[in-house]
Amino acid sequence: MAGKLEIQWSPISNKFITWGSEICLYEVQPARETSAHVFSISNTHCAQLLATNTNHRYMRSVDIYPKSENDLLLAIGLTNGRVALSTFGPSEYDTRGFPGKELVPKHPRQCNAVLFNRNDSYLIATGLDKFRSDSSVLIWDISKFSNSDSNNSGRLAVNTMAPAVELVKPVAEFGMSELANSLAWFHGSSRLLACGMNLKNIKIYDMRDPNKMINSTVTKAVYGISINYHEDRHLASFFDNMIYLWDLRNFEKPIQTLPHAKPLVKIEWCPTRSSVLASLQKDSSVINLYDIQHTVVGNEEVEPTVMERVVVPGSPHNITSFSWHSNDENRLLTIAVSGTIKDYIVFDRSTVNWTPTSCIVWSKGRKTLRYINDDFLNDVSTRMKEGARTRYGLQEDFYKNAKLVNNNEILSNVWNWLHLSAKLVDDGVIRGTSCRHPGVISIISKMDLNTTKSETVTLSWAELGNPSCQGCAKYYRHEERDKILHLCSWPLDRDLPSLTKFLEQLEKEGAYTRAAAIAVFNLAVQLAIDLLSKAPDTADFGSSLNVVAMALAGFSDDATSVWKQFCSNSKNKLTDPYLKAMFAFLTAENYNYDSVLTESGVAVDDRVAFACMFLSDGKLLEYLKWLSEKLCDEGNLDGLLLTGNTSDGLKLLQKYLDSTGDIQSTALIALRGFHADLGTQVVKDWIENYKYLLDTWKMFYERADFDIMLAQFKPNEKPPRQVYISCSFCGKSISAYMAALNRGRGQFQRMAGTANKLSSCPNCRKPLPRCSICLMHMGTTTTGEMDGSKSVSFDNWFTWCQSCRHGGHSGHMTQWFKEHQECPVTGCSCRCFAINAIASKT
Amino acid sequence: MFEAQEINVEHKDLIHDVAYDFYGHRMATCSSDHYVKVWDQTSDGKWSLTYSWKAHSGSVWKVTWAHPEFGQVLATCSFDRTAAVWEEIVGETPGPGERGTRHWVRRTNLVDSRTSVTDVKFGPKTQGLQLATCSAEGIIRIYEAPDVMNLSQWTLQHEVQCKLPCSCLSWNPSLSKLHPQMLAVGSDDPNPASGGKVFIYEYSENSRRWTKLETISSITDPVHDLSFAPNLGRSFHILAVATKDVRIINLTPEEDDQSGVTKLDVQTISQFDDHNSLVWRVCWNITGTILASSGDDGCVRLFKMTYIDSWKPVGVLKGDGSPALSDVQRSSTATGSGSQTSTPSQTTARYIKLGSITQPRDVPWH
Repeated sequence: MAGKLEIQWSPISNKFITWGSEICLYEVQPARETSAHVFSISNTHCAQLLATNTNHRYMRSVDIYPKSENDLLLAIGLTNGRVALSTFGPSEYDTRGFPGKELVPKHPRQCNAVLFNRNDSYLIATGLDKFRSDSSVLIWDISKFSNSDSNNSGRLAVNTMAPAVELVKPVAEFGMSELANSLAWFHGSSRLLACGMNLKNIKIYDMRDPNKMINSTVTKAVYGISINYHEDRHLASFFDNMIYLWDLRNFEKPIQTLPHAKPLVKIEWCPTRSSVLASLQKDSSVINLYDIQHTVVGNEEVEPTVMERVVVPGSPHNITSFSWHSNDENRLLTIAVSGTIKDYIVFDRSTVNWTPTSCIVWSKGRKTLRYINDDFLNDVSTRMKEGARTRYGLQEDFYKNAKLVNNNEILSNVWNWLHLSAKLVDDGVIRGTSCRHPGVISIISKMDLNTTKSETVTLSWAELGNPSCQGCAKYYRHEERDKILHLCSWPLDRDLPSLTKFLEQLEKEGAYTRAAAIAVFNLAVQLAIDLLSKAPDTADFGSSLNVVAMALAGFSDDATSVWKQFCSNSKNKLTDPYLKAMFAFLTAENYNYDSVLTESGVAVDDRVAFACMFLSDGKLLEYLKWLSEKLCDEGNLDGLLLTGNTSDGLKLLQKYLDSTGDIQSTALIALRGFHADLGTQVVKDWIENYKYLLDTWKMFYERADFDIMLAQFKPNEKPPRQVYISCSFCGKSISAYMAALNRGRGQFQRMAGTANKLSSCPNCRKPLPRCSICLMHMGTTTTGEMDGSKSVSFDNWFTWCQSCRHGGHSGHMTQWFKEHQECPVTGCSCRCFAINAIASKT
Repeated sequence: MFEAQEINVEHKDLIHDVAYDFYGHRMATCSSDHYVKVWDQTSDGKWSLTYSWKAHSGSVWKVTWAHPEFGQVLATCSFDRTAAVWEEIVGETPGPGERGTRHWVRRTNLVDSRTSVTDVKFGPKTQGLQLATCSAEGIIRIYEAPDVMNLSQWTLQHEVQCKLPCSCLSWNPSLSKLHPQMLAVGSDDPNPASGGKVFIYEYSENSRRWTKLETISSITDPVHDLSFAPNLGRSFHILAVATKDVRIINLTPEEDDQSGVTKLDVQTISQFDDHNSLVWRVCWNITGTILASSGDDGCVRLFKMTYIDSWKPVGVLKGDGSPALSDVQRSSTATGSGSQTSTPSQTTARYIKLGSITQPRDVPWH
């Protein structure tokens, strides 16, 4: 018996029973620290053994009184065919005399099934083995039973061993000389019972008419009859390794069979799902779920479709039984051979969606949706929305946009570059370019190497204030190189005042190492030492910067000097890219500065400026091209400094967009910096996409601002007219005529004078439609509000309903719809305004 | 922490789909209970039920909104073999100045399919009012309303045979004129031997036909959902596929001027089996930079693009209502007798097969 463990949820929602050789009652509690009395049944719950009932042996079937509220009343079917009523200790049923009573058939034989009726809960059905001409399905009514008991006032009212005592008779009997394999009460009708009989029939009986069955079918599948909780028509039963699904309206043959690999042990419909059937196979650690969909098309019922799903409740041994929770959605208890109990909730398929307003929403079962804002993901969409709100990119001055990008160094660099390059071009520092934002490469490419070679400046380190040096520092100068230094905001030709100013700025920003490195690159080692020693201890680098200053003070370019050897060895241990670059520069051999130029932690403009100072003409272009290609590949917008607003720059922007999804900056930079390319399809697509995004966010004002800015750069392209007026008689366009009329008058006249004077079709001279309120022809000004001023207010504009095509002066229309719902035209019941209200909802 | 809000939608059966309108202020839900419900967001951010109706005589699989320039229009598809187009209209009003009661009417019922219609989606608005459906019998149908003012007239423009039962479809949402119309269709055919389960179709303006551009042969497991990311001007398209895991696939159109036929470079960029079980749905955020997926583990998982072609998991939202965490969390509560604390995915349901079909007319449903 021990191997055959059964489990069942009780009607009390946090209690369940298990039974094998004894019946145990457990209570489910939220999981807490392990104590001796509880054991875990899931991640969130544990169970505590409350009571055991060992009064009965040889149990075949157990059911619980479905209206149990505080205590459980059990009906236990025994091998001798009796049904014992029992409880766990003293209970509310004691006064009614239920516990200890037995329901006894006339002839003892094995009891196969015991089942309380869920609706009429005093009815118990028992299914028994065959015995000669005795009935095998007995229905008892325990309410009568308790009455007879109170009359006799004895405890043991029924006992076949004491024939003197009056027996309680079953209220109904079916299945004469038959064998009952399994039973199921119908859920909708409390008097109907389905029985699997004789290993060859399923029969439906009605208690009100015990003599004849109301429906039956011939099948071997007589085991585990289960009726869908939501649809009494649908039955399931099994035999061996096959589940049969039945529809009572067509009971002759099953509507579906579901084959299994192994013999079945138990099937049960899910009480909380209308179409889910669970099944358990022998020697298996999984539960199979079947979702069975029925549908009706027209009058014809389509064959059901079945989806199988396998649930692994996670018990290490084979499951012997399971039970659905009657109220909690999809909650399942399983018990394994070893006695391991698992409380498992089958997750429903949940759908998920993402709103344009940045909420993630997902469904949970059939009742609820959950949603959460995606702010916590810190996505580019959140940043773009914030940017659009602050009119990022629409500020007239480029550098103001740089301030609007929060902590995004790359983007603020781009805007600062746009600002600086435009300023340099406007100031005439950079000349000879057609565009406002030339790239470094295009400037360098203009360097005519044959006519004007770069001038080499050689300075001895010793003269520069480094007494322990013998060698010289060498750098290049050229007109075009100077322009690049301007673009990188570096000082020209080591101009001390501008250098100090630049370094002070960096110092203010706390970029001590960068300042020091730039000082060193401008050959002002002493300045760098000062800078580093001035750095406060509280900075991230702390005291180490002072140490660096000390190291720097010992600068010597003698290849054999201890200083140089030491620095070459230990510079790789530095983490700060600028310090690394600084020492790499000072310890470089033969003016080979590769390790400075490839130090990716150094800002691109610093590297470019450095290259401009220290690379020879041939190498410079090579390096810049290499760098530009690399940055383009990475989609690093710093590369714009190199490419400028060329087609390479566009490719770089595309790459940036591909890698970040930041359509906002892409569209805005293209709009502001790439005027020449505004006509290309790629840029048009970017702009279109950004506008689409703003539309989705309902940021119509921001979008209008964007359109206005766009129009500034495309003075020849007016936004296309979206409304056309044509005469309803001759069909010729009136707007075309008006446009021709306007052409000579300047664009601001368009809305004014002429429109008002035109009240008939210029082609056929038929009058234009009338305002449905004042009955004046279109084009006539409203007279009421005329106060002599030439203002053509919105009130005079003509408007009409897109649905019924009736309309009039907008002033009149607004007035009308303040008081009415329907169209002002007699006989037209169009709800023009309300239609509009749908669209403009929220 | 991040607390998930809850909407009580009270469907009587499983919710299959949630759809938002263009602005995200209206919501439609559909369920196995045959009903569709429309919700509006009030000014304080709460969702209120506007209308609820029995839309079909079978499970309603999908619901989708048309672009608002066509009015307030929904399309649904169902197990009852039909797809339907619905429009919201204004009824009698109590008095002037008040907004009338609104209700939804069926404008058309598309009955061409002989099996369950598994997905329905409106095409990009630049192409007018187009509707694509796919069905379990393996046919993709493209309908068009020639007159956008008359939603009761739809003509079946194209019927594309897909050979395998279709479970889901997605339009490429690209706004660019450079990109021809493109559709991705997924199949939930359980047999791996029938080959790739994701098909890419493209409309050729020259031949005026939809032609199959690509079969993604690396995916042979049943596909339950797929979704194109908003293109946003990218040079490639991103397709997310829900199958036994989450896949992210880049489709890069390659320049090929001679033939006039687009060539696609298909690359599976990422593959996440974080759900450790079947994946049901995938969806993108508005920029196509984060992907959300739901799976049998009852969790919603989020994947974010960290750099070009590089994606990583960034969060898990648990379906059972516990607060969402941005890191994969382990349950810290259950410490039963010797039983190991397990991640949710370990104790979860696994779909081993879909649709145990004995009769040829049966269709698996996803």
